[in-house]
Amino acid sequence: MQFRGKQVVAASGAVAAAIALAACSSSSSSSSSAPSSAAASTPAAASTSASASTASGTISGAGSTFQTNFQQGVISAFKSVDSGITVNYNPVGSGTGRSDLYANTVLYAGSDSAIPAKEAGKVPAGKTVLYFPVQIGPIAIAYNVSGVSDLKLDATVLAGIFSGKITTWNDPAIKALNTGASLPSSSINLEVRSDSSGTTANFSQYLVDAAGSSWTLGTSSIISFPKSAHANSGGSAVAAAVKATSDSIGYVDFSTATATSLTSASIKNSAGDYVAPSSASAAAASTHVTPKADLTFLTVDEPGATSYPITYQSWDLVYAKQPNANDAALLQAYLGYLLGAGQSLLTPLNLAPLPASIDAAAKAQLSKITS
Amino acid sequence: MAVVSNQPTIDLREPGGWRRSKNQIATGLMWFAFAVILVPLGLVIYEVIAKGAKAISWQFLTGSTIPPNVMPLGQGGMGAAVVGTLEITAIAAVLAVPLGILGAVYIHEYGGRNWFAKLISFMADVMVGVPSIVMGLFIFTVWVIPRGLSGLSGLAGSLALTCLMLPLIIRATFEMLRLVPNHLREASYALGATKSRVTLTVVLPSAVSGIVSGSLLAIARAAGETAPLLFTIGAVESTNSNPFSGPTTSLPSQIFSNALSPYTGAQDRAWGAALTLIAIAFILLFVARIVTARFTRYAR
Amino acid sequence: MSTAVKADPAKPAGSAGPLSQRRPLGDRGFALLALLAGLLVLAILVGIVVTTAQQGSDWFSTAGFKGIFSTVWNTTDQFGMMAFVYGTVLTSVIAIIISIPVSLSVALLLTEVVPRRWAQPIVVIIDLLAVVPSVVWGLWGIIVLEPWIEPIYASIASGVHGIPVLDNLFGESNGSVSGASFFTAGLILAIMITPIITSLSREVIATVPAIDKEGAYALGATRWEMIRGAVWPHSQAGVVSAILVGLGRAMGETIAAALVIGSSVQVTSHLFVPGYSIPAVIANQFGESSGEFRSALIGLGLVLFVITIIVNLFARAVVERSGRRSRGA
Repeated sequence: MQFRGKQVVAASGAVAAAIALAACSSSSSSSSSAPSSAAASTPAAASTSASASTASGTISGAGSTFQTNFQQGVISAFKSVDSGITVNYNPVGSGTGRSDLYANTVLYAGSDSAIPAKEAGKVPAGKTVLYFPVQIGPIAIAYNVSGVSDLKLDATVLAGIFSGKITTWNDPAIKALNTGASLPSSSINLEVRSDSSGTTANFSQYLVDAAGSSWTLGTSSIISFPKSAHANSGGSAVAAAVKATSDSIGYVDFSTATATSLTSASIKNSAGDYVAPSSASAAAASTHVTPKADLTFLTVDEPGATSYPITYQSWDLVYAKQPNANDAALLQAYLGYLLGAGQSLLTPLNLAPLPASIDAAAKAQLSKITS
Repeated sequence: MAVVSNQPTIDLREPGGWRRSKNQIATGLMWFAFAVILVPLGLVIYEVIAKGAKAISWQFLTGSTIPPNVMPLGQGGMGAAVVGTLEITAIAAVLAVPLGILGAVYIHEYGGRNWFAKLISFMADVMVGVPSIVMGLFIFTVWVIPRGLSGLSGLAGSLALTCLMLPLIIRATFEMLRLVPNHLREASYALGATKSRVTLTVVLPSAVSGIVSGSLLAIARAAGETAPLLFTIGAVESTNSNPFSGPTTSLPSQIFSNALSPYTGAQDRAWGAALTLIAIAFILLFVARIVTARFTRYAR
Repeated sequence: MSTAVKADPAKPAGSAGPLSQRRPLGDRGFALLALLAGLLVLAILVGIVVTTAQQGSDWFSTAGFKGIFSTVWNTTDQFGMMAFVYGTVLTSVIAIIISIPVSLSVALLLTEVVPRRWAQPIVVIIDLLAVVPSVVWGLWGIIVLEPWIEPIYASIASGVHGIPVLDNLFGESNGSVSGASFFTAGLILAIMITPIITSLSREVIATVPAIDKEGAYALGATRWEMIRGAVWPHSQAGVVSAILVGLGRAMGETIAAALVIGSSVQVTSHLFVPGYSIPAVIANQFGESSGEFRSALIGLGLVLFVITIIVNLFARAVVERSGRRSRGA
């Protein structure tokens, strides 16, 4: 193959340079590409409640994947409120988020659980961690059984299904709760998580609390489900698997279940009522929560007739003492927005905003971020 | 007495029966193998183009804001990831290629039989098998953490990719150096050249086509890696064109985090990013082929 | 090319020794640069080993050598590595078995069969295969390949049902086969390592001296016989080394393996069932890990190091033995 030397080299060099130049030049111009409609969904209240702070700079957070949609939405909306502050969020998982915080590589960590006891030693000496509750959301039990559209389950039966003791859909235990439904005799295809996740941690926490001795697999961000269960990496993969496999059942956070158009079961709560997962039923559950002084709490298995029992929560963890005043101001501005106008972004995402009392307490805690 | 009579005539120009069939079968199998590798390549390219083409637009490639996953196509774009990938890969290449070539030169030309050179050569072989995520963790421990808040950056990602590319470039260069015939070196020494001169003006140029293609495969591999960047570059929602400060993102990172998302907008963006990434890699390859064609001194 | 050094036939230019002071500065500088590069490379490589060992020591001090051979992994207090070691080795072996015949065939095709002007398109195709990023292979594997291949596994499994050895390999386990399995991971890995092995083999095969090849033809050999008789002995060592590079890549592949291997901690001879490998478990479970759990995951990385070292040592021994025979041409 003869290449017409110089011309071809020049041409390809020009092509490569053009692409690089275009990319660089558009990045240096202000982010004027299409005002995001996320801003449109933010009610007008956004501009009135948050005052543009005088601080400017970049803050980075990392952690819980449960918070991904919310953080992305808030970051996007916050830009139009205060364009001097750039916020980044990296959904690497609650554990890595906390590790990043201990290592001081991020300013805030998203975590679906409080710092576990075995990590207590990792917090640098002299540093206090502040918990800012961020969002509440339901964990849906999604299923795909033809002919069944209103499945009712309770903690004991769920424990049986997910530990492999109940293996067919027409098992007497399931039938007892669903007298009107025609359940097939096929075996249950179990879809679970293979990767570590806050969803697994909180779902298993619910089973420990509500199913008692029927659940023997404990609670952790990774559970050793029975071998017959099909493990998937990531919540969306579980959802996709349930959608694609007939006679399957799996646990996945409600926003993902809705986005994948899955049917979710109604679960019996501690008041004895069968409640379907929704933003409202999760919010109802959260009204019964009394947080501890440091604002940690669990929303699983809350009382109340309309409460959804498998509800969980997430926090942003921040050090009380920041290395410099600018970082403290940036955090206060961003978290203030997130706890204020940002909360209105939650319901459209099929999550629930914080109950008023917890939200107020969190906002009051903002002043504890000092330098 | 002549012994000719009942001997069968053997045609010495053509191999007979079974030998010939073996030859044909072997050739047939070789072509079959080629067909076999066409299948996955064709399928993957087809999928990526089919799913990614609708996302591609000038705004997609250069838009500096990455929209939230729930947003459909049409808003913002992957400019942040394109810039990130180009910058991170370029810096990694600038670091790894000279270092790798020099390392291989040391092992082959200067090290000789000494234990040090053998150790490096051995370690380079071993390193090819290290999971890419471990490289990322290494850089996270020794580079990102000591720097605290300014640790996550494009540069940290480049360092992780350099660790990944080094053993590959060393290997490829070493193999090429090994194949340069000794008589070339000897002839140069005989003319009075110093060792460095021989290496730079005779040995390396005659090996350059293999070195370039080996380096480019390494660069293309680095451009497509996700795991080493997980703990080193962080993530961003808008373009950060400074690779030395502040977190950034990359095309593979975006592909990985988006494509499994349940939201169609995110999925479409992921496939668009995959198409972009493959196009970048292909351009790299094209440039390499041209360079090789221009500079190959010893045609095979 | 004349230098300031007096030409002394007894001491050729460029040689080390007491006359090194007479070597030009640039020459010594370059030698030093090469040495520094070597040092830096070694420092990086050793650094990775050391930090990994440090972070894995937490786990090792609790679990000890027993931990490596235990198959129990429950993410809270028991971290046995055997299932992942087994999975890594198994998927890599599957990948190599599938890839070797294909890669070598294509390499031979390029060097011996196809006329030079038509070699270019084939080379382009191999390069294209090589540049597809691993994350794209992983996604294609999980979204396209898995659902398509599962029914194929199912029919193979029912076909071998009852046949002694084949059933253990290709039959069902726990009553089912799965698209996400050891074999699927091995297949994707094979696709990923084929271009590397092909390119490296091709470079090696192309340097077989033409004299030997022409000599074989002159003796009346067919092309296949020439390949076996003239090409193979010369390129053995290089090809084995190319395969080794491919094997290394297969063992260290993280993302693609993590997505398609099925994430199930089990040691079984059945190939069509989900399994786990070292890079896959690190990628999947690192996010939420901490303390001894995290240390165990990093320790797994170190174990993979050791496995790669063993494999490399073994292959070097093989190459040395065959190299001794064919070198000297």
